[in-house]
Order: sequence, then C-alpha cells, then structure tokens
Amino acid sequence: MTTDRYNTPANAPIHRCEHCNRPFAEDELLSIHKGLDHAEQLDDEELAAFERAYDEETDELRRYQIIAVGAIVLLYFGLLLTYALI
Amino acid sequence: MHCRRLRRWGTFSSWLALLVVAVGPAAAHGASLGGSRETVSIPAWLFLLTGGAAIGASFLLASLVTDRGLIRAIHGWRRTIPVPGERLLNGVLGLVGVFGLVFVLVVGFLGPQRGEFNAAVLLVWVGWWAGFTATTYLVGSTWRALNPWRTIAERLPSLDRSYPERLGAWPSVAGLLGLVWLEVVSPVADAPGVLATVVAGYSVFTLAGALAYSPEIWFETVDPISRVFRYYGRLAPFAREDGEIRLRIPGTALSETRLVDGLDEVGFVIALVWVTTYDGFVATPTWRSLADPLVSAGMPALVLYLLVLLAGFGLFLAVFVLGARYSRRLAGTYLTVAELTRQFAPPLLAIAAGYHLAHYLGYFLTQAPILAVTATTPLTLNVPWFVVSLPGWFGAISLASVLLGHILAIWAAHATAFDLFPGRLQAIRSQYPYTAVMVVYTMTSLWIVSQPTIKPPYV
Repeated sequence: MTTDRYNTPANAPIHRCEHCNRPFAEDELLSIHKGLDHAEQLDDEELAAFERAYDEETDELRRYQIIAVGAIVLLYFGLLLTYALI
Repeated sequence: MHCRRLRRWGTFSSWLALLVVAVGPAAAHGASLGGSRETVSIPAWLFLLTGGAAIGASFLLASLVTDRGLIRAIHGWRRTIPVPGERLLNGVLGLVGVFGLVFVLVVGFLGPQRGEFNAAVLLVWVGWWAGFTATTYLVGSTWRALNPWRTIAERLPSLDRSYPERLGAWPSVAGLLGLVWLEVVSPVADAPGVLATVVAGYSVFTLAGALAYSPEIWFETVDPISRVFRYYGRLAPFAREDGEIRLRIPGTALSETRLVDGLDEVGFVIALVWVTTYDGFVATPTWRSLADPLVSAGMPALVLYLLVLLAGFGLFLAVFVLGARYSRRLAGTYLTVAELTRQFAPPLLAIAAGYHLAHYLGYFLTQAPILAVTATTPLTLNVPWFVVSLPGWFGAISLASVLLGHILAIWAAHATAFDLFPGRLQAIRSQYPYTAVMVVYTMTSLWIVSQPTIKPPYV
C-alpha cells in the first residue's frame, strides 16, 4: 500500500496505530508511538507496554551513548596528537 | 532532576570545549573566505580533516541530547513582540523598495560607468545582496514589504490566469539557477549599464508574470528572489506567525516542514546550497585546469558553465535523495523517501546562510562605506579617499560562520528526527547518512575555500 506519507512493503510485518493509522515495522516502536502521541487514550496494559518498550530502548541508548562518547574522546585526542606531531 | 541538569550541563560544556579545540586551530591558521584568500599554514589535509571532524563531533554531541521534552521546549519557545505602527512601517518599506529600484535603473544607466564606484552596482551587490540578505536570516525577512515589484504589481490590475499547478516551485528553481549563471558569466557585477539592463529585464518579466497570474501566485510560487528571502527568513529569530511578530530561538523553525511540501521545494533548498558551492568552485585554479582542455577543444565557455551548474545541482539533489533512502532503511520506518526529503530539507538552509555570511560579511563591511560615499553624488564619479581593510583575524569569523551553519543544520535535523520517529535510537540512526554527506560536503567546501581565488576564466 502506498500513500503520500507511508509506503509499506507487501510482505513485511505491519503494526498499525489504531488511533492515527500510522504503520510501524516493530511492535515496540508502535508501543512507544502510542505512549508519546496518544497517552491519554491508552488503557493500563498499553501504558505498561509503552513503559517496558521505553525502558528497553533506554538500555540500548545507554550503550550507544557510551560508544558515542568514546568516539568523541577518540576524535579529540586523535586531532590533539595529530596537531602536536605536525 | 538535579542529576539530569548536571548531565545536560556536562554535555553542553564538553561541546563547547570540543568546539574550541576543533575550530580554534583551524580558524587561527585557516583561510578567509571572502575576496582574498590566504594560504593555509597547516597542511591542507589536516585543515580538511579538522573541519570534517568538527561536523562529525557535532552530530555525536547532538545525539547525546535525547530528552524529547527539552528538544520540544527549545523548538517551541516563542515570545510575541508588539510592533506599533506596523502598517505605516510596511508602507514606508514599500516606498524605500520602489525608490531603490528607480535609483538602480537611473544611476546604472546614467551614473559613472565604473562598477567599483557606481552607487547602483554597490547598492545591488553590497547593500542588497550582501547586507539585506544577511538581515533576512539574522533578524527577519522583510522582503515581502520591501519588494518593489510586489508593491508595484499590487497596484496594477491582474488577469488572474490559473497557474499550472504541476509546475509547482520548479520555475523558481530554474530562475535561481539562471540568475546565478548570469551573475557568474556576465559582467553584472562590474558594468553598471549591464546591471541596469538586467534589472530592467527582470522588472518587465516579473511585472508581466504578476500581471498574468496575480501577484500572490507569482511572488509566492514563481519569483526566485522572493522564495530565497522567505526561506532564509525561516532561520531568523523574528518572524510573522499567525498574524503577529514573534521571537523564537534562531534556527528552531527549521524543524517544521511548512514551506517545503514537495520535491520541487526540496529542489529549491538544494539549489540554494549548491549555488554557494558553485560560486566558489568556478573561482578556483582547479576549475580553470578542468575547463582548459574542454574550452580549447571548442566547447563554448557559456555552455560549459551552464552544464556544470545543472550537473552539480543534479548531483546534489541525487545525493540528498539517496541519503533519504539510506535514512529510511537505517531507521526502519515506513515513511516514504519523499516524506523524509521534505522533512530533512529545511535544516540545510542554515548551511546556505552560513556560507552566505562567510562570503559576504567582510565584503559588506569593506564596501558599505564606499556605497555611502558614492550614494551622496550618485551621478558623478566620486572616488573615496579611504580604503577599509579588515584585520587578519577576520577570516576566523568566516570560518566560524560556515561551521556554525553546519552545526545548526545538524541540530535542526536532530530535532526533526526526534519529532518524526518514536524510537530515540531510530531517530539517531536516521541521521547517519546525512552526517556522512555533510562531513564530505564540509571538507569539499573547505577545500574550495583553501584554494586561491581567481576570476572565473573565459567569461
């Protein structure tokens, strides 16, 4: 199905938001979307799913941030050393 | 809460520290962008590497800000500014615009025929294209009120013919590329008569268009100049929103999609970025050595300039669309590529503005006094008795504005991604391709900047 904003592949999993019809590739993303954009319309179970998905993502994000900070440090000292040697 | 604030502060201060280290050395030895470029006293590759690293580091730092509430608060902040006598002010600006147009035509044709001391040439390039344009992104766009063609056209009848919708904004893209081509290949920048002829031609064309399709349609859709200023105005701290003048944090409105609704308008943003690069590229020795064999093989120089202009635009647009394609795949989203290009095009305006400021700030400061002196007696040759020269550190300001434009664009795209995607990592991943493209683009631009400037050959 192709609309102006969304384009969903024929044989891919589709998790569609029942409030705004937006399709998502993963159930977790749908849960987070509902928690962010339709918070007041959710029941307890959906809210719990949102919090679970959000917390899981926070853990992943933590790992990303450690790598990102590492990359920044590497860039910083890499350049510092390069300038010192040139 | 306290811990969170502390962390934010930590992010901010490490950002600052990195900028000082990354930008500082390059700026100190770097090249000045305007007019005369100095040779870089550090190896060129290190200069380019530092520029690229500054962009990459900005992305990494921006990606550490994952608090949606904070991002939304920064981008949603507004203050209403009451402007007394706004109608009167609009009327005065309209008159100033029309007077300026008449001044350019009269002084261009009848004034001294030496470009560097002709007040019409100086008014167009120094007062308007360098100075006024800078105010549209630094303060706010007032072109709608100042636009002399609009002021005149709104007092004329209109045939109200229906505009072919399928053309969209493409005529303004063609118009912008055409104007830049004309600026590069013709002596409009030095010959007052030629400039006045071009302005007269543009006036006739614009008024005829507004007459046929109504001023509203013409200046909102077709006229490239109006579109340039409207787009630059998106960066500015002051803007008219919902009928009132509001203050916002500069650059924060770039994460809204208003103004960019289709590939045509994405094309205009890309064209605006590309022409700044093109302008610099055709003034490098590299371009001369590339063009030499082609021109001696019999290729007309004007055609060569046009072909490179169009090919470069096509390349920029293709790379941007390709970036959106990768972004879609990396983020794992069902949003279309077209939707992603619309969303991520406006942040690029900050880059275009950064290059504009870098190119023209020094030029404006040294030439504005000459404009003021020659404008007192516009019809007789008046050679100023002074020369304004800028201190050596001024090149650092140019370099800083280029980097600042890129950093603002990265931040705006980051905010857009957080608005667009529910997943925070998803939003960060969606920015990988754009960051890669920007690093390459910055390094290319710095490479152009670090070359000596020559006059574009063969024209």
